[in-house]
Amino acid sequence: MSLEVRGLAAGYGRLEVLHGVDLTAGDGRLVAVIGANGAGKTTLLRALSGLIPASGGTVTLAGADVTGSGPERLARAGLAHVPENRLVFPSLTVEDNLVLGAYTRRRGPAAERREARDRALALFPRLQPRLQQVAGTMSGGEQQMLAIARGLMAQPTVLVLDEPSVGLAPRLVGEIFTALGKLRDDGLTLVAVEQNARAAFAVADHVYVMDRGAVVLEGDAATLASDPRVTAAFLGGGLSGDTPDGPPTPGTAEAGQR
Amino acid sequence: MVDLLQLVFAGLSQGAVYALVAIGFVAIFTVSGVINLAQGEFAALGGLVAISAVGSGLPLLAAVVVAVATVAVVAVLMERLTIAPVKRMTTLVSLILTLGVSTGLKALMLLVYGPDAEGLTPINPGGFTVGGVSIRYQELWILAVAAVVSAAVYWFYERTLAGKALRACAEQPVAARLVGISLGRASLTAFLIAGCVGAIAGVMASPIYFTSWESGLTLGLKGFVAATLGGLVSVRGAVLGGLLLGVLENLTAGYVSTGLRDAVAFLLLIVVLVARPSGVFGRSAEARV
Repeated sequence: MSLEVRGLAAGYGRLEVLHGVDLTAGDGRLVAVIGANGAGKTTLLRALSGLIPASGGTVTLAGADVTGSGPERLARAGLAHVPENRLVFPSLTVEDNLVLGAYTRRRGPAAERREARDRALALFPRLQPRLQQVAGTMSGGEQQMLAIARGLMAQPTVLVLDEPSVGLAPRLVGEIFTALGKLRDDGLTLVAVEQNARAAFAVADHVYVMDRGAVVLEGDAATLASDPRVTAAFLGGGLSGDTPDGPPTPGTAEAGQR
Repeated sequence: MVDLLQLVFAGLSQGAVYALVAIGFVAIFTVSGVINLAQGEFAALGGLVAISAVGSGLPLLAAVVVAVATVAVVAVLMERLTIAPVKRMTTLVSLILTLGVSTGLKALMLLVYGPDAEGLTPINPGGFTVGGVSIRYQELWILAVAAVVSAAVYWFYERTLAGKALRACAEQPVAARLVGISLGRASLTAFLIAGCVGAIAGVMASPIYFTSWESGLTLGLKGFVAATLGGLVSVRGAVLGGLLLGVLENLTAGYVSTGLRDAVAFLLLIVVLVARPSGVFGRSAEARV
């Protein structure tokens, strides 16, 4: 398996947000992690790519234990993280954003980088005419495409995406998920965190449902799509049933750290 | 008219020195958010090392190389020993740390080189007069070197991968780490650039303005004001700010009073701080999407 997460725990300071998450992705499949706002999805990705330290559990990438590695090392090991809110480099051109995406490959052959760039531009043809444009002046959808293209420039084995659809028009959401489907068909392993469950179910092979910092449901996308428990999880607290009236506490944690 | 030209020319060459110091402030601030109060000391140290190297018999060019290399090493050590170990850098912490380094460097320079101000041998002594404006060769050298260095720094940030990586760190540190750029290495590179540029400023200024253990205070202050004029985040702004400050200072000294020369920098600083304070400590609109 390309990516194996076992019992991953993480949080901010003394506050634990993620309580022992197991997740497996690989074999060129698209895994979606869905859940309500504050379920711990972003924290999961941040812990995965080393932006926050794991307080427990292990992360294995392509067979190597990478638990506790910083994002720079993970990028070199083949994990590309398309962050929440895209975070393109705003005053740099689209071209330069792509060039920096291949930063971990800077000592590799130029032909490889050119090929990665051609593939990324073929996937998102809208970027082609904007190569010399400053990235910060593009629309949200185009910035999302650029963020994904930048991630692909590192020629990763696993691409993780944090809410690729957030704030985008439905047509663009479709366009982006179609592109993710194409990447999957090309054999790339993808993990997409999504709040937009419908969009996620439309392309994902396997779905994890998170609630309050833990995986509460997982299964084949086709099977889970009609599962009423998924809807319940989105309404908050429907699954574990221990605090039916209480608000989901991790939500406040995630909102607070913005 | 001749007076005006004379003052403007002298101002430009002095401003070019401020510009070089200002580039050092910008290089470090954009990447790590640190305002390096030891930037002026980089210049003073550069001048003093060059003077003593020439004094010990080295040819001028070799002395300059030794000076720049020494300051570069000092800057790199400073980053590794005082900036890198801090987990959560705030503006206040950075000011305290760099002020400490600045004071330490001053004390060290006083111990090693003594209290007297000295001037480095100029590349070509003397000068000439054009239309009543007297020009020293050294002033032309300052302008030429400053132009070349600023162009090189600008080229580095705009055209090279390492330069673009530094800009990426400045704009989106999280995304920069995610593409594999090490923020620690970026900060180190920024200090290296600041050290080299600062040393060059000190070496170029020394033949005309003289160097002592405490000349870093004025140079650092003027450089900081120049950098602030450009919002502390732009190399071009720092260069223009330096030239503007140099010219204004000389015009004030010439037409108003020499005693007011140093007040110009403070006045400009106050005006900038009141008019656009966000340009000083905020990361301004550039970092936001």
